[in-house]
Amino acid sequence: MTTWQYMRRLVAWKRVEFLWNALAWGVFHLIPLAYGLLVKGIFDALSKGESAGANAWTLLAILATAYASRQAAFLCGFRLFSRYYLSVEAFLRRNLLDYLMRARGSRVLPESPSESVSRFRDDVNDIAAYSESWIDFGGFVLYGVAAIGLLLYTDALIATLVSTPLLGMTLVMRRLSPVIRSYRRRMREATARVTGFIGEAFAAAQAVKVAGQEESVTAHFRTLGDERRKRALADVLLTEMIRGVNNGLVYVGIGLVLTLAAAKLRSGTFTVGDLALFIQLLPRVTSVLTFVGDVMAQHRRVKVATDRMERLLVDAPPGQIMDPRPIELTGPMPRYVPEAREGEPLETVEVRNLTFRYPASEAGVSNINFQLRRGDFVVITGRIGSGKTTLLRVLQGLLPNNSGEVLWNGRVVEDPATFFTPPHSSYTAQVPRLFSESLRDNVLFGEPAEDRLAPAMDLAAMGPDLAALENGLDTLVGTRGVKLSGGQIQRASAARMFARGADLLIFDDLSSALDVATEQQLWESLFREREATCLVVSHRRLALRRATKVLLMSQGSIAGQGRLGELIESSAEMRRLWEEEEEEEGRGPGNGAPSTPAR
Amino acid sequence: MKGRALYIQLLTRYLVPQAGKAGLLAFCLFASIGLQLYIPQLVRAFIDLASSGGQGLNRIALTFLALALANQLLSAASTYLSADVGWRATNLLRADLFRHVLGLDMAWHKDRTPGEMIERIDGDVTSVSNFFSQFVVRVSAALFLTAGVLALLWREQWRVGLALTVFTFVAASVLHRRREIAVAPTREEREMSAQLFGFIEERLTGLDDIRANGAGRYVMHRFLDIQRQWFAKALRAWWLRSAIWLSMGILFASGYVLTLGLGIGLYLGGAATLGTVYLFFNYMSMLEAPLDQITQQLQEFQRAAAGLRRVRELLGAERTVRDGSRLLAARRGHRVEFENVRFRYREQEVLKGIRFRLEPGETLGLLGRTGSGKTTLIRLLFRLYDATEGRVLVDGIDLKEMRIEDLRQRVGLVTQDVQLFHGTVRENLTFFDSRIPGGRILEVVDQLGIRSWLEKLPEGLDTPLQASGSGLSAGESQLLAFARIFLKDPGLVILDEPSSRLDPATERLLNNAVDRLLEGRTGILIAHRLETVERVDKIMVLADGQIVEFGSREALAGNPASRYSALLRLSADRGPGLTLDEPLERLSE
Repeated sequence: MTTWQYMRRLVAWKRVEFLWNALAWGVFHLIPLAYGLLVKGIFDALSKGESAGANAWTLLAILATAYASRQAAFLCGFRLFSRYYLSVEAFLRRNLLDYLMRARGSRVLPESPSESVSRFRDDVNDIAAYSESWIDFGGFVLYGVAAIGLLLYTDALIATLVSTPLLGMTLVMRRLSPVIRSYRRRMREATARVTGFIGEAFAAAQAVKVAGQEESVTAHFRTLGDERRKRALADVLLTEMIRGVNNGLVYVGIGLVLTLAAAKLRSGTFTVGDLALFIQLLPRVTSVLTFVGDVMAQHRRVKVATDRMERLLVDAPPGQIMDPRPIELTGPMPRYVPEAREGEPLETVEVRNLTFRYPASEAGVSNINFQLRRGDFVVITGRIGSGKTTLLRVLQGLLPNNSGEVLWNGRVVEDPATFFTPPHSSYTAQVPRLFSESLRDNVLFGEPAEDRLAPAMDLAAMGPDLAALENGLDTLVGTRGVKLSGGQIQRASAARMFARGADLLIFDDLSSALDVATEQQLWESLFREREATCLVVSHRRLALRRATKVLLMSQGSIAGQGRLGELIESSAEMRRLWEEEEEEEGRGPGNGAPSTPAR
Repeated sequence: MKGRALYIQLLTRYLVPQAGKAGLLAFCLFASIGLQLYIPQLVRAFIDLASSGGQGLNRIALTFLALALANQLLSAASTYLSADVGWRATNLLRADLFRHVLGLDMAWHKDRTPGEMIERIDGDVTSVSNFFSQFVVRVSAALFLTAGVLALLWREQWRVGLALTVFTFVAASVLHRRREIAVAPTREEREMSAQLFGFIEERLTGLDDIRANGAGRYVMHRFLDIQRQWFAKALRAWWLRSAIWLSMGILFASGYVLTLGLGIGLYLGGAATLGTVYLFFNYMSMLEAPLDQITQQLQEFQRAAAGLRRVRELLGAERTVRDGSRLLAARRGHRVEFENVRFRYREQEVLKGIRFRLEPGETLGLLGRTGSGKTTLIRLLFRLYDATEGRVLVDGIDLKEMRIEDLRQRVGLVTQDVQLFHGTVRENLTFFDSRIPGGRILEVVDQLGIRSWLEKLPEGLDTPLQASGSGLSAGESQLLAFARIFLKDPGLVILDEPSSRLDPATERLLNNAVDRLLEGRTGILIAHRLETVERVDKIMVLADGQIVEFGSREALAGNPASRYSALLRLSADRGPGLTLDEPLERLSE
C-alpha cells in the first residue's frame, strides 16, 4: 500500500476525532493573524492622535480576548490531541503484535527481537507524528496563505519584494536537507564508533590488562572521541549556517521593509501599524514554509516505517497494520474470553515427506515420514545438530515447511501453526521462556480452568520449587522478577504444557530439567492419570525403553525408526548413542527394572 | 565532596585548558546580547523619526540591517564555540573515565556489562555535557539578556520597568513550579513505556512458546492491560506537561496586554512616544525565549547533576591491586612458584592452598573441569586478582612487590575466546599501539609461519576486522592472539586451548605456533584434549580448588593409579580426539 492509502485508513479509523482535532488546531493556528491585525490597529489608532484613545483601549480588550481564546483552543485541542495521538500509537502496536501472535502461518522474525521492538517504538512513532502533521496541516497552511495575502493587501510591492527571497531560501533549504541529513548520519556513525569501542574495550578488559596496553587503548578512544567532536562540530556549523541565513533573511526582510517604508511613511501611505504587522508576520511566514517542507520529509519517513513493518509481518494482508478493530483504552477493562476450543480428538498423526531448509544454509530436515497413534510414546533421538528440534518446530508450523504435509486423523492439516495448539497439542521448547508475570499466570497462561493448575504443577515435579519460593505461585518470575534456574524454567513450562489438557504432548528434551528418578516418576504419573500421547526429544535410556517408537535422526533425516530393540540391532549409530548413555543411567535411583512401555 | 566544589573542580580541570576559546565564547555571547538589546532602540528611533517626519530614515534602516546580520554571525559563532568547548571538555572527561575504569580490578569488571559501561562513560557524560555547553552558556546568556532588557526598561520608564520585573519573577516562579509538577509523572511515563517495550520484547522472544500453546489471545489480553496502563500514565504526563505551555501562553498574553496597556496609557498621557510604545512591546517579546530557556535548563541541570554524581562515583572506585616497585629482568624463561595460595571470592573459597614450582623453561599441562580453579590460578599470575593468602613468585619476587607493567610485559596469555576490536588486523595485533613498527609485526608473522595466511587477506595488515571476529574462524582468532603475544616476547606463556574443533589446516598452523611459542619459555597449557598434553613436562590436575595430582608427565603415565593414566586408557578405548571435560568430570566423582 502507498503511504497515502495507509494514512487515509488511519484517518478513517477515528474520523470524528480526527476532524475535531483539525478544527481545534485550525483555530489555534489561525488566531495569531488576529494578533497581527489588532496590534497594527492599536498603533494606527495611537498614531492618529488622542481622539483615538478609546479606540485603542477597545482594540486592546479585543486583543486580550483573542489571547484568551487561543489558550482555550489550546486547552481543548491538547486534550483531544493527546488522546488521539496516544491511541494511534497503541492501535498500531496492537495490530502488529496481534498479527505476530495470532495469525495463521509460521511466524519467524526477520530480525532479532530487540531490533523488532524498534518497529513497535520508532516506526510507530514516525506514523503517529505524521498524523499529527496532518492535523496541523489545514490550520498552518491557511495561516500562511492568509498572512501572505494580508501582507500583499497592505503593500503589494513591499510584500513581494520581501517574501520572494524568503520563499527562494526555503526552497534552497529543502535542497540542502539531504546534506544536513548526511552530516547527522556521519555524526551518529562517529558516536556509534565511540560507544561501540567502549563496549569492545570493556568486553576485552582482561585481554587489554594482560597485554599491559591500557594506555594505547585509551589513546585510541581519544582519537575516536576527537573524530566524533569534529563530526559534531561540522553538523553544528552547517545547522547554524542555515539557521543564520534563515534568520538573517528575515532581518534582511525587515531591514528592506524599513528602507522601502521610509519614504512611504513620510507620505502617509504606510503606517507604523503596517510596520508592526510586517515585523510580526514575516518570521511566521517562513515557519509555515519550513513546516510544509518537514511534512514532505515525514511522508518519506513513513514510507520507510511502513515498509519495515510489512517486512516484520512477512505475509500479512495489506492493511493489517491499519486493522480498524476498536481498541478499548479507557473505560472498564474487557473480560478475558478464552478462545473457543473445539478440537478433533487425536486418532493418528501422519507426517509425509516433511522438508525444511534454513535459508542461507544447508541445515534443516528433509523427507521426514512417520506415524503415531493415540497413546503412543514416540522418542526422537540423535546427536546435537541432527535436526531433532527443527523437526518438532516444522511439524507444529513454527517453521514453514518447504514441502510435505501433516495429516491429523487422515486429513491434511491446512495450517499447522494454528492447528497444532491446544486442544490438539501443546509444546515445551528446548529453551522455554517464562514471562515477567506471576508463576501462576505463567503456568495457566490464559487457561481458564484453574483446577488444572495443581495437578499440572505436581506432574512437572514443581512441588519442591514451589515450597522454596517465598510467594509460591504468586512469585513474580521472568527478567523482572525472581531468577529461576534453567531446570526450574523447564519444569514450569512443562507444567504450562500439562495445564493445557491437550491430546498430543510435545517435549523438547527435559533431561536438563529433571534427574533420572524424577523423569521416571513424571512418565509414570502422566500415563497413570490420563491417556497421553507424547512426542519427545530425548537421549535418556528410560525414555527410549518406554518408547513405542524411536525415530533416530542423523544429519536432518530419519536414519531409522522402530522399536528400540530393532534399532539397536540394525543401527551402529543407535548402539553408540545407547552406550554413551550408560553411565548416566548408572547414577539413577535403581527403582527396579524399567517399566515396560505403556501399551 | 560537596556538589558545588565538584562543579568548580570540573570547571577548572576541564575548562581551564581552553581558557582562550572560553574567553572568545564569552566575548561573542556578550557582544550578541549587546546587539540584541540595541536593535529595538534603532526601531524605536526609526518609528519616532518617521512619525515626526524627520530625515535619516535610510541610515537607520541600513544600520539595522548591518547590526542584525552581525548579531547572526555572533550567535552562530557562540553556538559553534560552545559546542567545541563542550565536546573537548567532555571528551577529556570521557577519556579520563575510560582510563580510570580500565585500570580497575577484574573483580570490579566482572560485575558490570559492557553495555553498562557505555551508559556510564558516554551516557552520563553526555548529560554532564549539558552542564558545560547548555547550562553554563545558554542560561548565563539568557540571564544577562533578561537583566539587560529589564535594566533598559527601568531606564526608559520606571513604571514599565517595575511592572515587567514583577512579571518576570512571577513568570519564572510559576514556570519552574509547573515543570516540577511534571517531573514525577514524566518519569512514571518513561518507566511504563520501558515496561511496555519490555513486554513486547519478551513476547517476541517467546513467540514459539506462545503460539504452540495457543496463548495468543491471552497475550493480547495482557497487552491490552499494559497498553491501558501506559495510556493512562502517558496521558497524565502529557496533560501535566501541557500545563507548562498553557501557563506560558497565559502568562505571556497577560504580559503583552500589560505592556501594551501601559504603553497606551503613557502615550496618551504624553509620557512616551509611539516608538517607545513599540520598544516596550519589542522588549516584552524578547523576554519570552530566555524565560523558557532558564526554567527548562533548570531541569536539565538536575539531570546533569544526577549524571555528575554517577561520574564521581565511578572516579571514586579504587583498585585494590596495588602496584609494586621491584623490577623483573627480561629472560627467556621465568621460574614460577605458588606458596600455599588461597583465594576467596565472595565468601567462596576458590583456591584452597595451591603449592607448586615450575623451573625456567618447563611446561605444565593444567587439567581440571570447569570451576576447578584453573582460570583463577591464571588470573593470579597476572595480578588480575591478588591471592587472599600465600604468595605467588616469579623469579623469586613476590608479585605484590613487582611493577605490574613489568609483570604483564613478561607474561603472555592466549585465552579461548579472543577478543577482537572493530579495527584493522594491525590495530588488533598491537592494541592500537602505533609505536610498534610494521617490520616487527611482519617478523612475528614469519616466526608464527602465518605470512601466507596474512597475504591472502585483501589488504594484508590493514584489512579491517569486525569486533565479533566475523570472517575469522576460532583458529584464526587464536593465531592473532599468538601474534599479540610474540610481539611482547614474554618469558612465561599461558595458553588456554580452544575446546571447539578446528579445521585440520588451522590446527596444524596452531600447533606449529604453540611449539615456537614454548621454545625455551616457561609455559602453562590449559588443555582440553589429551594430544595437547603430550608435549608438556609436568601435569597438574585441579579439582575443587585443590591440586589432586601433580608430577612429571612420564612418571604419571607410568603410574596406573594416576588420573592421567586413566585418561590415557580411556583415550585408547575411544580413539583419538578425546575431549577431556567429560571424563574429568567423572574422574572427580
